[in-house]
Amino acid sequence: MNLGTYQIIGNDFDQAGSASGSLKEQLKKIGADPDIIRRAMIASYEAEMNVVIHAYKGILRATLNHQQVEVEISDEGPGIPDIDMAMKEGFSTAPSKARELGFGAGMGLPNIKKNSDHFSIQSTVGQGTRVRFTIFLKPHEALESDHTHVCVVEGKCRECFQCLRKCPTKALRLGKGRPEILKYLCIDCTQCIAACESGALAMANTAIALPRLTDDAVLVVPPSFLVQFGPLVSPQRVLASLFKLGFQDVKITETWDLALRSAVVGFAREESNVVPVISPVCPAVINLIEMRFPSLINHLAPFVSPLEAQQEHLAGRQGVFVISCPCQYTALVSRVLAKKPDVITPSTLRSAVQPLIISGHNIVDDILKHPGPNPQDEKHVLQITGIEHVIHILEKIENGLIPDVPVMELFACELGCFGSPLVHEDPFLALARWQKSCGLSRIWGRAYRRKESFSPRSGVRLDKDMAKAIEKLSRIDKLTRSLPGKDCGMCGAPTCAALAEDIVLGRTTRSTCVHVIVHEEDQK
Amino acid sequence: MNLEYLARNIDAKVFSRGRPMNVEINRIYAGDRISDLLSQAPHRTLLVTNLASAQIMRVAQLMDISGICLLNNITPEPEIIQIALEHQTLLMVSPLGMFETCGRLYQTIIEESLTGL
Repeated sequence: MNLGTYQIIGNDFDQAGSASGSLKEQLKKIGADPDIIRRAMIASYEAEMNVVIHAYKGILRATLNHQQVEVEISDEGPGIPDIDMAMKEGFSTAPSKARELGFGAGMGLPNIKKNSDHFSIQSTVGQGTRVRFTIFLKPHEALESDHTHVCVVEGKCRECFQCLRKCPTKALRLGKGRPEILKYLCIDCTQCIAACESGALAMANTAIALPRLTDDAVLVVPPSFLVQFGPLVSPQRVLASLFKLGFQDVKITETWDLALRSAVVGFAREESNVVPVISPVCPAVINLIEMRFPSLINHLAPFVSPLEAQQEHLAGRQGVFVISCPCQYTALVSRVLAKKPDVITPSTLRSAVQPLIISGHNIVDDILKHPGPNPQDEKHVLQITGIEHVIHILEKIENGLIPDVPVMELFACELGCFGSPLVHEDPFLALARWQKSCGLSRIWGRAYRRKESFSPRSGVRLDKDMAKAIEKLSRIDKLTRSLPGKDCGMCGAPTCAALAEDIVLGRTTRSTCVHVIVHEEDQK
Repeated sequence: MNLEYLARNIDAKVFSRGRPMNVEINRIYAGDRISDLLSQAPHRTLLVTNLASAQIMRVAQLMDISGICLLNNITPEPEIIQIALEHQTLLMVSPLGMFETCGRLYQTIIEESLTGL
């Protein structure tokens, strides 16, 4: 539900605070708790004043969903060169005019963070800044995390339970004839989409047609897309056909993957004091680490993912990104940039380009010049693909059992993006065809450092009050032991432990377990 | 604590009387930085500040602050009084500076608690 969109004008101290005032009225109307309103007002007023003091203009957008208020304040302004510095209490760059009015204490951003349940800030120098914060209306139900792009397609689920079993973080429940995604546990990987044969799980908000192209539009495709057209159509020919769609340029993501690899190898050699260094190449793996392996966050190399690097490189030109998974989508759209990227799925592009590909045999020298792996970097890197292997390896790293590998590239999908469920060719065949087409060219992409650091994600929070959370934990433990332990999934939860958690958190009741019902009837 | 009683005791001039239910406070906070006033001021608070701007009234309105005490016998801009009247925020001006005003407020509170008023 939309709570309103309000304009904020830079340097207009007379009107300053009016956007927050309007938001307050809305929150009062929905009957929010006074303490929640108070926290929301501190955060939103500080954010609004930041726009008034520092930027030319901005917009405050507030939405209400899943019992939480999400506020986004984005501005057009000078941007923040050093976010870590800006987050420090007492650091301020406010001009003297603002200071005379009592602002510029350097407490703005820290105050927003302190008063919200979820806070993020992104900034691009010369373009602007975006601050987002979320406040839970009912603190103890503070469970939903935002920003994932896996969604449920209504009316398609056949209740086959496959997704429940595959989900690596047990984020799915089956009820009322459809899967339900517990967003706070979802890491935005592709496991459930791959497992679902009836198409009930898919990527959210994807366009079904190509967007309108501007003159300078650049198409960004992964190598896996170029090898989707069978043995007779070479990657080179697919690439040539893509140009016919009206793009000024078509870029292949490989060079950015390789640039990231070089950068991470360099980072591991020169800067890092932990082994192994984990490359941030797959956003789903980053999500997994932030949630399930927070102790490994310092193993992540501080770079943006290859697609984000490509996006940064485009610097305002229209980029149309062909993505392989929901987490790439989330990573792309959650960045602050003047121009929102256009995101399409491989199948959308496939149906657009298919008629343009001339069939027939390949021309012999039809070889695409692309760099291919650099043997110098490759010997330092161990690539692990497939979420089960990845989890297994992360557990080993956590226990300090892998001191002999400098750099790890971990992918949630098998064989990396070649194994995405959004492309259809067998991943081993696709990879082989891609490698066969390898020519010689230099790596021209580059890696970009991350501006904000990785931060742990809470996952399940049983209760805001720690004492109560501990009590709930012991109840879950006791309840788990009283359940049959068959992990059959008939109740709609993937395991008995997950059901116990759901019961204690009040999402369901014990009587959903068929074994419990049978047992109780026997006793009667 | 009753705001009007406090105002009388420190010889402050009252420009706008607050809502009757807001006249009772249980906290006083003094400061000149908006961020502090914002984060340290739950409702039923009297703010003592030098910041005689429309912004301070906006903060008072957003945070449901009961009263504002300005200092040094300044004459508030008509705009400020207007906002205070509109939102029924008590607005008073003390004849003294920050230090003396706070001292007298403190003394009043202590005496009040001693005499059990």
